[in-house]
Amino acid sequence: MRIAVCLSTAVLLCLPVKAQDTLRTEDIQEVHINAERTYGAGSVSNEKKADERLLQATGALQVSDVMKYFSGATVKDYGGIGGLKTVSVRGLGASHTAVAYDGVIITDNQTGQTDLGRFSAGQTESVRLVSGPDNEMLQTAAMAAQAATINVSGHRPELDGEKFKGSARLLAGSFGTLNAQAETDFRAGRNSVATAGVEWLQSDGDYPYVQDNGSSSTTLSRKNSDIARLRAEAALFSSLGASDLTVRAYWFQSQQGLPANILYNENAANERLWNRNGFIQSTLRTDLSQRMTMQICAKYDVARTRYLNPSVNSISGVTDNRYTEQELYLSAVLMYRITGRLSASVAEDGRLSELDGVMVRPTRGTLNSSIALKYASERLVLTGRLNHVATKEDTRLNTAARNFSHLSPVIGANWLIWPALGLHVRASYENTYRLPTFNDLYFEQVGRRDLKPEQASVTSGGIVLEKQAAGMSVSIYADAFNSCVRDRILAVPGKNTAVWMMKNVGRVTTHGLETGLETACQCASVRTGLTASYTYQRAMDKSDASSATWNHQLPYTPRHSASGVVFIETPYLNASCNLIYSGKYYCNSYNGPEYAMPSYYEAGCSLWKDIHMEQCDMCLKAECVNMTDSRYELVRNYPMPGRQLRVTLTLDL
Amino acid sequence: MKKTCLIPFVLLVLACDPEPELISVRTDATDTTHTGMFILSEGLFNQNSSTLAWHDFSTGRTESWQNRQGTSYDCFEKANGRRLGDTANGMIMYGGRLYIAVSESGTVEIVDPATCRSLSQIKMPDAQPRALAAYGPDIYVCCFDGTVARIDTASMAITGTVQVGRNPDGICCTAGKLYVSNSGGLDPDCPDSTVSVISLDTFTEKTRIAVRPNPGRICTDGTSVFVISRGRFDYDIMDYDCRLHRIDASSDLLTDTYDIQALNMDIAGSYAWLYEYGSTDIMVMETATGLIVDDSFIKDGTGVERPYGIKADAETGRIYVCDAADYVTPGSVMCFSSDGRLEYRIQGIGINPNTIQFYDSQVRPDEDSQAALKGHVAKVFEYRPAPGQFINVMPQYEPGDNDSTMAAKCLALLRGNGMVSLGGFGGYLTAAFDTAVANLDGMDFEIDGNAITGSAEPGVVWVSADANRNGLPDDEWYQIAGSEYANSVMEYEMTYTDNDGDIPWTAGDGRNGSIRKNIFHSQSYYPLWYDEDSCTFCATLLPDNMEYSNGTWIMSAFGWGYADNLKNGSEGSRFDISWAVCSDGTPAGLDHIDFIRVQTGVIGYNDLTGEESTEITSIFNLHAYEQ
Repeated sequence: MRIAVCLSTAVLLCLPVKAQDTLRTEDIQEVHINAERTYGAGSVSNEKKADERLLQATGALQVSDVMKYFSGATVKDYGGIGGLKTVSVRGLGASHTAVAYDGVIITDNQTGQTDLGRFSAGQTESVRLVSGPDNEMLQTAAMAAQAATINVSGHRPELDGEKFKGSARLLAGSFGTLNAQAETDFRAGRNSVATAGVEWLQSDGDYPYVQDNGSSSTTLSRKNSDIARLRAEAALFSSLGASDLTVRAYWFQSQQGLPANILYNENAANERLWNRNGFIQSTLRTDLSQRMTMQICAKYDVARTRYLNPSVNSISGVTDNRYTEQELYLSAVLMYRITGRLSASVAEDGRLSELDGVMVRPTRGTLNSSIALKYASERLVLTGRLNHVATKEDTRLNTAARNFSHLSPVIGANWLIWPALGLHVRASYENTYRLPTFNDLYFEQVGRRDLKPEQASVTSGGIVLEKQAAGMSVSIYADAFNSCVRDRILAVPGKNTAVWMMKNVGRVTTHGLETGLETACQCASVRTGLTASYTYQRAMDKSDASSATWNHQLPYTPRHSASGVVFIETPYLNASCNLIYSGKYYCNSYNGPEYAMPSYYEAGCSLWKDIHMEQCDMCLKAECVNMTDSRYELVRNYPMPGRQLRVTLTLDL
Repeated sequence: MKKTCLIPFVLLVLACDPEPELISVRTDATDTTHTGMFILSEGLFNQNSSTLAWHDFSTGRTESWQNRQGTSYDCFEKANGRRLGDTANGMIMYGGRLYIAVSESGTVEIVDPATCRSLSQIKMPDAQPRALAAYGPDIYVCCFDGTVARIDTASMAITGTVQVGRNPDGICCTAGKLYVSNSGGLDPDCPDSTVSVISLDTFTEKTRIAVRPNPGRICTDGTSVFVISRGRFDYDIMDYDCRLHRIDASSDLLTDTYDIQALNMDIAGSYAWLYEYGSTDIMVMETATGLIVDDSFIKDGTGVERPYGIKADAETGRIYVCDAADYVTPGSVMCFSSDGRLEYRIQGIGINPNTIQFYDSQVRPDEDSQAALKGHVAKVFEYRPAPGQFINVMPQYEPGDNDSTMAAKCLALLRGNGMVSLGGFGGYLTAAFDTAVANLDGMDFEIDGNAITGSAEPGVVWVSADANRNGLPDDEWYQIAGSEYANSVMEYEMTYTDNDGDIPWTAGDGRNGSIRKNIFHSQSYYPLWYDEDSCTFCATLLPDNMEYSNGTWIMSAFGWGYADNLKNGSEGSRFDISWAVCSDGTPAGLDHIDFIRVQTGVIGYNDLTGEESTEITSIFNLHAYEQ
């Protein structure tokens, strides 16, 4: 039933609703608004969204899998379920991409990278990528300051008048992959609904790969690639008159091996990683008056990491690092509708982070402020925003890094230039930054306290077209962009080659083009759809005109990449096929032929059947991932898995 | 309207983006003293990108080839079809072979410099082999796991290890001792600060000499050992503070500490060439006195920006400096003349070049002569001659030689213009072709020797295919059943005993005799590198082919199927793989062969020409140039 609701909302991309999200927000549940904007025709920036259908059709097991179908996003993947997966948008680098869970940013001040592999697609209702400024006025100041945001929306209960709903899912796949999930939605009082769920994921990850031994090549299996993960989550949603309250508690723990790169040293793979992460976050949204809406968020997050390398040639013979990062986060946004078309908002975020486990014990206080103005008529949207960040660095030992204050402007426009055709033109400019991580600043010998934040700016312009006729809908977008990252934080060797250090040295300019197409067609009880995207990215090293890497393409950034998903749904059986293509790219900032990584593609397909019974609904799904057994490495020397089969059984009570 | 204008503008910008330019490798550097040089580049950590480049001084070209992605300068991958590994830290040339320590892959590669082929990949998982030294028949490799391993050059196997301090980073050998710098670099807050002295007689640690913390590069001039200690990491200046120590090799005492911020050095003759922290120049120290004789060796103003390795050539006085560029892009090698002028720079050689070794050979492994030698044997696994008048001469034995160095000399002779003698009955040589020899119609391979009419010294030929694909001749051997197969005695055993004069032998059937010393050849006829005092051979005995006729001794040739039997280039010097038989005499049915063995098959002696011994000058595939 839930699928059917999403279906209709996703297809009916009607224009009046676009304007409604600012005019009459209080009347519409946020989940509905999100579901309508696949490509965000009214948005000033390029945005893409994967709903449950796309997550289903792409055969995504982890959120990172579906990111590969988004234009402009470059996924760096160390292979397997446990391998680190990060996303860089428009050549800016992974640390410029913020990952948020239900609108609240997940920060990792230690490494600056959030592993998108840790979110399983099964727990996710939708994933939305916004490359550039977001139209949303009720946005936290921290989110507004990011060059690109990935928002993972967790499950929200939809009881449709029932008291209780339950669902269970069991997935079994190649290489010892097992995923079990149980979820229940229920009423908690007159005005509240709640959900609670638990998920278990395990995988041996011992997939075969080919090691080239010269005259002969041997097929070996990946070692130390196992993973076991537990996620438990509960959320409460209350409507109290003009207020909505959401409280979410989240627990995640994992134990995994860190697959080594395939050197000729077979014993190298023995590093282990343990993660424990828990947070509780709450959002209160209330209409203070007809014209004024307030949103308050609070979050406490604790993340423990243990890294073990049992064979190191040091005194102790092991490296056993344990880190605990704690964070307290508070945010308030106030939005005021000045007139029917003009609205303003002011947002303030405070964040206090502390890292324990390193000698210096750094603490960082971050204060994000943002003011925004938006004009939205039926045909024109104009937004302007001014973000400010101030940091306060402290350490238990030695001197702390310097504090930082930065003002960054954002502007955007969207104009419905041809209403009959549903054609919009849009443009935006954004100035952003990324703070140095604790590792950049304090890591023994390498870290440097005098680092400045990386500066980035992105200019983007394009068209988007959304049109629907009887039983058919088409959306197309094409956005060209120019991004520039200055003062890149890179590890460079000092004069003494034994000492590497972090330095603000690099500069990268990226010119690119993102295009996408989505069509859907309904004929009687048969529905078909096609989603395709293509990205061109020319990310040039502009650090030093005399260096050998001047104008060379950034590593791990293909110039051309494309993806496609096609599905068909019938009353009897549903099917989908998906394809990812990546052109040649390089694994080194010097684009010599010896560092070229060949182009690759990966194709998959799935078949599923919904069975409606009296007691429950059942869905049986069979998938083949990488069905051509394409052998490639995304990160050099980290082979990706070949063909995999998966079977999923879902029960909805 | 601003927005609609933007789109064509941006598209125009996309079309005009400049394309990356690649470093062009300069290739006109020549030198008459050496055949060429090998340049080891360690690559990037955890990228499996160590490479070995070969620069030929006669042609002035750096060997390149086309791999799947484009032009590559990695001759190791070209020859072996696989990469060298991750973080190759050290390389030495010894006994005609290259030894390369690949730290993160945990391997030591033994490479034949003539072909760049890996003769053996010794696996030392988790040991992190770092640096190498050689003495006598052994190679010593210090490993970051706190050990020094001994590798026997003949068996290419580890024959022992000795415990030293933490994370040894450098090793050198003098006065019958090994000096190992224990860095403790993996514990930067409490580094080691000793130099281990290992006695080579007992292969045990004799003593540890206290030095400043974190000692690294270690070199010797024969009487003193020089070691660079980097000190403890100073968090105030965020850097190291280096010094140079001198250890007296006779007393094993630390005698001097020089206030030089040395980062790296090389010693050749009686001088040390050093580069210092913060300097773009090279200083020269007289090792005997410790005096800096020239603190600015470079005279033409060339700056050494990011030195990563230094090599002094004692023969020419040239100084080679590896420059690491920006440590992520391919670096270069700079060559300075003995008077400190930049002669040339070879760019784009590999990422982080760190070591240079020169190679001298009669066989120049440049592409032209490689092409001429296509199809020839590329490797000699074993050279086990029986005693004879040409033994220790063809090839020439030199003190210190062993099985492996003698085999390498045989290879040089077979690929050059030389001749290898297998000695008396039973002596043999085992070799591999560069590529498999296919069994096609007609003759498949040729063995050339020194046979002329009336002087045939036939050797029995055995062939083998690398069935287990390990590259080693440990598979089934098949005898080439020549014309005398039916008249031969199989598995005839003969034992020779070392002696100053004549070498006596006894055969398995009780027959005995001796290899008699003649006036033409006065050297020892017993192979001097053999450890044992007697050696036993088991071979196919061919009929006697020697007779006295018309006042002279005639050694007549057999019909077909033997080495050193009929004239080179004639059908009689050629072989068909189809002739190979199993031990029971049935045809072997081989479709190709990889290995070949030639073994002296006759027992014969006369006063005029001495004993009969098979000689070979070359072995090659007749199909090498066929498509």
